[in-house]
Amino acid sequence: MTVHSLAALLALLIAGYPLLIARSTTVAALGGAALVVCVLGILGAVRVVVGGIVLALAEYALALWIRGGPPRLADAALLGVALLLLLESADFGRRAHRAALGPGVLRAQLGSWALSGALAGIVAWLATAAASAASAAVRLPWAPAVAAAGATIALVGSGLALAARRAPSRD
Amino acid sequence: MSWRLTPLVFSVVTIAAWGLVLGVLSGRAELVVVVLPLLAGLLRIGRERIAAGEWSLDRVVSSVRVFEGERVAVTVTVRAGAPVPLLELFEPLPPGLRLVSGHNRGLFTLRRDRPIQWRYEVECVRRGRVSLGTVRARLWSRAGLEARDAWAHAPAELRVYPRPLPLRRLPSPRRMQAFVGNYVSSSVGEGLEPGDIRAFVPGDRVRHVNWRASLRFRRLFVTRYQQERNADIVLMLDTLTEAGSPPTTTLDASIRAAAALATGYLARKDRVGLIEYCGPFRWVRPGSGRAHHERLFEALLRADVMFSYVTQEVALVPRRILPAQALVIAISPLLDPRFDKALVDLAARGFDLMVLSPSPIPLVRPGLRASARADLACRLWALERSARAAALQRLGIAVVDWDPDQPLEAALSGWRPARRRVAAR
Repeated sequence: MTVHSLAALLALLIAGYPLLIARSTTVAALGGAALVVCVLGILGAVRVVVGGIVLALAEYALALWIRGGPPRLADAALLGVALLLLLESADFGRRAHRAALGPGVLRAQLGSWALSGALAGIVAWLATAAASAASAAVRLPWAPAVAAAGATIALVGSGLALAARRAPSRD
Repeated sequence: MSWRLTPLVFSVVTIAAWGLVLGVLSGRAELVVVVLPLLAGLLRIGRERIAAGEWSLDRVVSSVRVFEGERVAVTVTVRAGAPVPLLELFEPLPPGLRLVSGHNRGLFTLRRDRPIQWRYEVECVRRGRVSLGTVRARLWSRAGLEARDAWAHAPAELRVYPRPLPLRRLPSPRRMQAFVGNYVSSSVGEGLEPGDIRAFVPGDRVRHVNWRASLRFRRLFVTRYQQERNADIVLMLDTLTEAGSPPTTTLDASIRAAAALATGYLARKDRVGLIEYCGPFRWVRPGSGRAHHERLFEALLRADVMFSYVTQEVALVPRRILPAQALVIAISPLLDPRFDKALVDLAARGFDLMVLSPSPIPLVRPGLRASARADLACRLWALERSARAAALQRLGIAVVDWDPDQPLEAALSGWRPARRRVAAR
């Protein structure tokens, strides 16, 4: 129940944050849908939570597009950490459903999430800082094309790295 | 089994891809930054892998011999030689067991040399030998991004004996045996119940002298006593077929009745035997005592419906298994005509025979959808059973119809021995 509550709180945060950026009916509707789908997923399957997060990201993109203005990178990094924790807590909640929890399991899991969230946040902040410094130093006229290429490289790289890590067990 | 990536990894990659697509389409850097923590989280893959041999478990059950309906506490102790971030254990329960408290699945974090205990309770719903064997395990990385399947073998066997139904009064046999028991027989000899008076002859014990009669007739008389004898009871169980769904089939009801009758008669010092008729015969020789009680229950434990084309004649059963003076209590739902034939054969051989017939209708009826057609079918079935019982009664076989939802004692209280004897067919 604690894990489900935590996941639901994170879902509320993720779906509600874009409304602070732009208060629009469309954003609110998308946020509501994202929240409902996320909660259903927390009670059911992680795949449904992924659907809810997809809606929440669309809501976030819409809110940013409506509002415009300078980028809020620190907030975005925190939102990314919340997304990661939502996925992991929903997944753990599903595994812990109708299972006996041993002593210290929940505490160790919460500690692990806190640590991984902090590390992911730091990595995101460092990457953002590096990207900001690089963008200030180099002005490219075809920046969108570079961004698309970078995104593609990031995804293909993630896929290759995951495939490479499917190594056989050591024993 | 090797470590594998879990679906969570693909969920993370999907969301990251979607974030990057939105970022490129909208031209907002925030959407790219949102993705960064997700991708950073994937860097933890491969950091928590442990070897499968670094943990072990033992299982202890509170009792290995129980009756149906009793509860057993299962305690699993898990030890690890190295820290295990997250171990998921799952104990699949056999159909004869039902979880009543705790969970048969657990998540544990193990530290080195610090065993943890996991306890749950099951109810044994059906007789039989129940094996708790393999515990399935899954080692998870803390983030849930990787998993590795394993198993541990911790054998434990439960023997679930049939639950004897409460029974205070038992059908009395007509014929006695030569051994001492609880029945007052018609023949005189040593015993407690006075039976006859006769003149004293040399060799009679002085303590048997009837002083009142001796004074009255002015010669010595002695009192003779009714002998107290036991009886041979043979329970004949029909395992040719069954109706209903476990754990409330006609065979389950028959076995519970057999357990109750065996317990009751053995308590009366009678010799009790068991014949299981499943086409061929399987039997337990009549005997008495506590050890024999366990022998009978072991036989009832493994009694089950076994399909066979073989149909043996009652004549093949040896006399030591089916003594001539025995009361034969046949327990059958009367579904298979082969058993009817065996009953007629027994009656024709002059056995003191009684048929206890657990009705299959109340066991099958709850599984049928309520409809007029189902009602009609059940009524027709009941009529067919009545006709069958009447046909047996005409042959001198006493048939007791028993609704398994009602107490067995109520059904047996209405039993009267049949008067007519069967003519040899």
